[in-house]
Amino acid sequence: MVIRIAAVGDVHLDEDVVGRFRPALEELPDCADALLLAGDLTRHGTEAEARCVAREFGGLGVPVITVLGNHDHQCDQVPQVIEVLEDAGITVLEGDGVVLDCVGGRLGVAGVKGFGGGFAGRCASDFGEPEMKAFVRTTTDSADRLAHALKSLDCDLLVALTHYAPVPDTLAGEPLEIYPFLGAYQLGQAIDSAPTALALHGHAHAGSERGTTPGGVRVRNVAHPVIKQAYSVFHVGDDLDQGEVSRLTASGT
Amino acid sequence: MTQHRDTGIGPPDEYLEAEIHRLLAEDPSVAEQGITVVRRETGLVLYGEVESSHRREEILRRVAERFPDLPVTSEIGVIRTEAPTQIEQLP
Repeated sequence: MVIRIAAVGDVHLDEDVVGRFRPALEELPDCADALLLAGDLTRHGTEAEARCVAREFGGLGVPVITVLGNHDHQCDQVPQVIEVLEDAGITVLEGDGVVLDCVGGRLGVAGVKGFGGGFAGRCASDFGEPEMKAFVRTTTDSADRLAHALKSLDCDLLVALTHYAPVPDTLAGEPLEIYPFLGAYQLGQAIDSAPTALALHGHAHAGSERGTTPGGVRVRNVAHPVIKQAYSVFHVGDDLDQGEVSRLTASGT
Repeated sequence: MTQHRDTGIGPPDEYLEAEIHRLLAEDPSVAEQGITVVRRETGLVLYGEVESSHRREEILRRVAERFPDLPVTSEIGVIRTEAPTQIEQLP
């Protein structure tokens, strides 16, 4: 059995973008069991922008699950943003998860925004000034909550959803100097601590699509500027013969 | 943000790239972190992808407003929003 997952991140909605995604989103009930949004739904994280997200991504006919991104925190209106999204039927994850009953099995999605810090051997340490310790502890707390959420789900297919990147592979194309602001290895460690099948993230607009964690979990950067389409669709299932990156859909010719 | 000097004379200031980068991220009317600023002999080239043509115009307007004498070329694109024609299969 196959579970079909649509995903996109970094759509940065405001009034000027409302309606651009909708024609493609209307096709989702025919091609996906759920839509996962990898954060940065808005430009500044205002309640008004969240209402734009609700108009664009609400009432799609498939479950919509999201994490927030750094942009969604900019105006300190996170509770209002979450309320608007949830009123539109969008599930917002932060250190928790959800299990959906799909035709192909039970899809479990655990999510956190995540944070920066860098990757093994070239990362920030919990040492020195209070500001530095607070920075690194934000990352480790987030990774711990992701690990806990992943392990708590009883499902057939487990997906990790973050905004920040769990591996450096999907940052290829970004300047090396900013990797520590784009993700943290602790997120990858959390993903590898559970039987995760797929990890989706955004945030790295100039990054690349595909990577794997050290434990072998497939990682996909679904930031909109990276995938350059309304969303990507992943078919995940044990009985699929082989991996295939660019398989044509029935309608795709 | 520190005021930039000598914008119209001689080679661009070493700090110009950082200043524009921060302007684009921190200006509430822009809020773009994904724009790359490249210095060429003929001036600056801005690369990146945004979600609407309005945002692209706003970036150029704000940079021109702050650095009126600086020649700026835009290679900023508006990201496509078509439905995918391909899927990825993961066993």
